[in-house]
Amino acid sequence: MSYTSSEYFVFLLLAVVCYYIIPKKGRWVVLLLASYAFYFYSSRKYIIFIIGSVITIYLIGLWLNRIDVDFKEAKKGLDKEAKKALKAKVSRKKRLVVWLGIVINFIPLVFLKYFNFFSYELTRVGNYMGIGGKLPIHHFLLPLGISFYTLAAVSYISDVYRGKYAATRNPFKLALFLGFFPHIVEGPIGRFDLLGEQLYEGHSFDYARVTQGIQLMFWGLFKKLVVADRAAIFVDTVFNDYTNYSGMYVVVAMLLYTLQLYAEFSGCMDIVMGSAEIFGVKLDKNFERPFISKTVSEFWRRWHMTLGGWFRDYVFYPISLSKSFTKFSKKVKAKCSPFVARILPAAMAMFVVWFGTGIWHGASLKYIMYGLYYYIIMVAGMLTEPLWCRIFDKLKVDRKGKVYRALQVVRTFIFVNIGMLLFRTDNMGSFFHMFRSMFSNLNLSVLTDGSLLNMGIDKMDITVIIIGLIFIIIAGVLGERGCNIREAVAGKNIVVRWILYYALVLAVLILGAYGFNYPDIGFIYAQF
Amino acid sequence: MEELLELLEGVKPGVDFKNEKDLIGTGILDSISIVEIVGELNDEFDIEISPIDIVPENFKNVDAIYALVQRLQED
Repeated sequence: MSYTSSEYFVFLLLAVVCYYIIPKKGRWVVLLLASYAFYFYSSRKYIIFIIGSVITIYLIGLWLNRIDVDFKEAKKGLDKEAKKALKAKVSRKKRLVVWLGIVINFIPLVFLKYFNFFSYELTRVGNYMGIGGKLPIHHFLLPLGISFYTLAAVSYISDVYRGKYAATRNPFKLALFLGFFPHIVEGPIGRFDLLGEQLYEGHSFDYARVTQGIQLMFWGLFKKLVVADRAAIFVDTVFNDYTNYSGMYVVVAMLLYTLQLYAEFSGCMDIVMGSAEIFGVKLDKNFERPFISKTVSEFWRRWHMTLGGWFRDYVFYPISLSKSFTKFSKKVKAKCSPFVARILPAAMAMFVVWFGTGIWHGASLKYIMYGLYYYIIMVAGMLTEPLWCRIFDKLKVDRKGKVYRALQVVRTFIFVNIGMLLFRTDNMGSFFHMFRSMFSNLNLSVLTDGSLLNMGIDKMDITVIIIGLIFIIIAGVLGERGCNIREAVAGKNIVVRWILYYALVLAVLILGAYGFNYPDIGFIYAQF
Repeated sequence: MEELLELLEGVKPGVDFKNEKDLIGTGILDSISIVEIVGELNDEFDIEISPIDIVPENFKNVDAIYALVQRLQED
């Protein structure tokens, strides 16, 4: 069930009506039933995987709780040394338990998402080395949202292990946390401490909150249906037949793909956050105006923020702060220059993060390279930073000035677009072909001679994309200046307010790229 | 506090740690510099900062970092 389909809106309406007509205490049950009805409708028998995940994290959480309780009892009356020894033993046991939970939860994801990839690649390597045979592949589909809810499940048991909060005794609460229907398909990847209680408590009907949720949904629909799905037509024309295009065709397709992915993914987040807001649930934001970033690191702090946050909190920090890594850092510090000692440990931990980020997106070499592409840029930036600083100081460049910052934004935008080209192409071969072809034919004339109108979209479509982009930019600028657009609209008088509401709804209904003249375009991140 | 300021300036020279109120929001400290600072703090003050302690509230300014160090020393 796509978030842009009419079925979804009927489903949402039914869920909202049921939610608010029953007593507050039981409202979370409506969300739970609606979420698993949504899941079953979309994934049928694959619902077993998310249920398995709920059961395992529930049991692992309780196990970790039990160990803590037993430890508190056992340490009573012990002297300091004995307490220390017992604590070390308990820590080892807890570590084993949490790792068991992590492994159990990752097994379905790894098997269903990556088994065929590794099987295929190993067969290829085997054949290349003269070893015959073919490794088996499976024919299962990927359960809905498995890449998202697995990370949420792992965050839950990791936080219980770390003592951030106690494990819940209610498995249905966990089931709702993992399966909440607005965030199950594309995230945002939730954290139990921020989301658990919000989902569980019964919220009162609040007219202002509900209307603001609906507004956000329509803004998301505008970005997806009016802008992204139109841009997708041009993008698909070029990328699906990339050997026949070069120069500005590829440049425009790359820029439009960046716009498509941003409008679509952030639009989807607006729809899901708006849906959740109707129930009084505030999901974590996933985007914060990423294209004003001055560095690629900043870009990733503003783009798919909950994924970046997950890798930071559950991969980067645990690796960087682990005992063995700390020992290694100290050794490096003693033997190498302060500069190397500063860079090397961080670069090693970052490798795991970016390899993981890449492969999380999909089981293929190009996704791994997509992650490592950003890794290389970041490490190169860290390595060359002192050199650039010296050069800029000598040239007396004002590094806090507006011009310098604008150039940084442009540089980051170029890096991100090249990353998007890699992300959209089918494989590394087509990426290199398209990248080279951008420079092989400087056909600037196609921008003005109407050639771009033969790419599946007409003048009207291009005008709509540009107007949509202008609105997205205006919304971004206002947001960056701290303006809450929805509250500002709510503060207008009734006439202005309803004109704006109608304008947005009509823009989606009239200008949306749906119906017989347009292909049905799904959500890109829903495939992950 | 002086010892802490010296340590922070050693890791990230040129930052006005004394007066900066939002080291995280302004992007002065990213995850890499936080890991460096944590390593130094652990060594210098004989504490063990774990991933759960690494939240913006504990690193937003020098006072917050100082409070974290004191809390962990008391534990």
